[in-house]
Amino acid sequence: MSIFSLMSFGSEGWGLAMVFAAGVTLSVAACGFLIGSVIGSLIAWVKLSGGVMARGAADAYTTVLRGIPDLLVIYLFYFGGSAVLSSIAGLFGPGGFVGVSGFAAGAAAIGIISGAYQSEVFRGAYTALNRGEIEAAKSVGMHRALMFRRIIAPQVLRYAIPGLGNVWQLALKESALVSVTGLVELLRQSAIGAGSTRQPFSFYLAAAVLYLAITTVSSWGFRRAETYAMRGVRRA
Amino acid sequence: MTLLSTPAVSVRDLRKSFGSLEVLRGISLDAAEGQVISILGSSGSGKSTMLRCINMLETPDAGEIAIGGEVIALRKGRHGRTEPVDRGQVDRIRSRVAMVFQSFNLWSHLTVLENVIEAPVHVQKRPRAECIAEAEALLTRVGIVDKRNHYPAHLSGGQQQRAAIARALAMKPKLMLFDEPTSALDPELVGEVLRVMRSLAEEGRTMLVVTHEMGFARDVSSRVVFLHKGVVEEDGPPGEVFSSPTSPRFRQFISEHR
Amino acid sequence: MDAAFMGETFLRLLGGLPLTLNLTFASVVLGLVVAMSLAAMRMSGVPALDWFARAYVFVFRGTPLLVQIFLIYYGLGQFRPSLQAMNLWGFFREPYWCALLALTLNTAAYVSEIMRGGLQSVPAGQIEAARACGMSRLLLARRIILPIAVRQALPGYGNEIILMVKATSLASIITMMEVTGIAHKLISETFRAIEIFICAGAIYLILNFLVTRAIQALEYRLSPHLRNAPSPMPRLVAASE
Repeated sequence: MSIFSLMSFGSEGWGLAMVFAAGVTLSVAACGFLIGSVIGSLIAWVKLSGGVMARGAADAYTTVLRGIPDLLVIYLFYFGGSAVLSSIAGLFGPGGFVGVSGFAAGAAAIGIISGAYQSEVFRGAYTALNRGEIEAAKSVGMHRALMFRRIIAPQVLRYAIPGLGNVWQLALKESALVSVTGLVELLRQSAIGAGSTRQPFSFYLAAAVLYLAITTVSSWGFRRAETYAMRGVRRA
Repeated sequence: MTLLSTPAVSVRDLRKSFGSLEVLRGISLDAAEGQVISILGSSGSGKSTMLRCINMLETPDAGEIAIGGEVIALRKGRHGRTEPVDRGQVDRIRSRVAMVFQSFNLWSHLTVLENVIEAPVHVQKRPRAECIAEAEALLTRVGIVDKRNHYPAHLSGGQQQRAAIARALAMKPKLMLFDEPTSALDPELVGEVLRVMRSLAEEGRTMLVVTHEMGFARDVSSRVVFLHKGVVEEDGPPGEVFSSPTSPRFRQFISEHR
Repeated sequence: MDAAFMGETFLRLLGGLPLTLNLTFASVVLGLVVAMSLAAMRMSGVPALDWFARAYVFVFRGTPLLVQIFLIYYGLGQFRPSLQAMNLWGFFREPYWCALLALTLNTAAYVSEIMRGGLQSVPAGQIEAARACGMSRLLLARRIILPIAVRQALPGYGNEIILMVKATSLASIITMMEVTGIAHKLISETFRAIEIFICAGAIYLILNFLVTRAIQALEYRLSPHLRNAPSPMPRLVAASE
């Protein structure tokens, strides 16, 4: 059976299952990325304006999450999360084992990791701001919230786009590790297909092509967004 | 010159240090409505710091600043540093005092027109359509209305500074502060900015101008103040101070800046 | 938290450290060699070589490492008869060699781009100045371009080494018992994920801390021109008096 008939969309083919699994990959990566954006902006804010203790804690968070294998973090959330949930359930009665869903553990793990990277992206983007433009905002009497909304946030976002693009690519690739929880995303689906057809190369190759398509389209998207956001900046 | 009416800005015994460096060592200055004051001084004399204190971009360590008779309330905060009592008051006063910076400081993510209407719409909360009409009139006046949809980075320095002046005017300020508005410009672009400033002076606006342009100080301003090491060394109408300076340091300054 | 359990866990995890170090070191060194060839292809000006190197980098950076590992370890099994005929099956049957191959090919793609960035960062003016005083191409490369490029590329290369330390953990998914592999085994035996995570995490953090320090030391040695200027020589002070 050729790889094309193997991956066809008919009743005999695996195409539909693979595309659906690619959708799961995208969803878990996107959820993780969004969780990471919330965490990342909070941590960046602490790094920029927190007290000594808070800043130290924020720095420690980034250092630790960037120094530990992603796989360990996923194990922590999947197995550790189940252990915590089970013991909480035990408080309310003779529960048994309560499992965390692979999707939730994966999104949380990607979120925590991605948050560490995103905090650095946001912090860097903030320091790239032109101080003079902030002074100009003060000089026309903008209060802090208005200045943040109208001047700082749009510019931070603009400078952050390339960095966020890189972090999104990381999140996409991390999502492949979530397959260890049994979540049927692209890699897990390929393993299932490989097992039942004994054509592992065809399946992992198809997975690689789909990942490549996703990363290529997203880097194109981020480049478009950057061009749009940088329309007011002179090209060197 | 009488100061019977409330001065547009009144500065009393202003002091400011950065670390161990005493930049302002007790400056007092009253500007009457309609006066154009050129503030001269070599670098490090404290002239920019004084201007920035008036707009509270720097908080003075001691002294008093009143804008149109309203005293900016200050108090000693934690760590012994002064801070404004009421940020709302500072923002309100700032929206009546416009500042033009040496490095223009146009908001780079907004077009020229958006820069001009930003504060009127969002700080003064005036109707957008009205602000746009006014902004276009102001841009016409400074001669760059054709650039209204350009981003700052695509303008020459002189055009950027004229846009920044239009942005300042859009606030309908009672007082305009210019912090070395032509120092960052190429020599051939200085003239276009000075022409705009001269026309503002001629329509009777109250202006405080920190500058190195001796021509502007001599011909346009109604008063010249010379700062040296954080104190006022010379103060008077340009005709008097330039022809017969009392301070030897000012005499030397003039001879170096001819 | 149970100190005795933590201590025992830590010791058992340390048993995986030699394999983690082995995979990291081997893939970093081999990856460097492959990366140099890729960078040379990119800079060669030969369209076919340039195109190949671009495609290589595109594919290896655009897909997850785990997919690459699976493709090599499980995927090539599909071609077992041909591989046996070529006497390569002995290599591709072993998870160690497959993991090492995937790690090497993967890091080479990233490192070649880091190298290219470093080479491109050398200011054209400094190259011209060297040409102007008659340096040969080789001398120019050795005395001017390489030192500047290496200095530029070093921080990025340091990050890549840290990423490789972390990436070796994926070898555990194809049965290699390095630190993460042992951690996984311990978690499924004891279900004490948090304690085990802390111990394994500490090992990786220490490892990466050492890598960071080593790179920083190297960076410091390579950049005397960026340090603070030394205080003026007494001789000069005397001369100005």
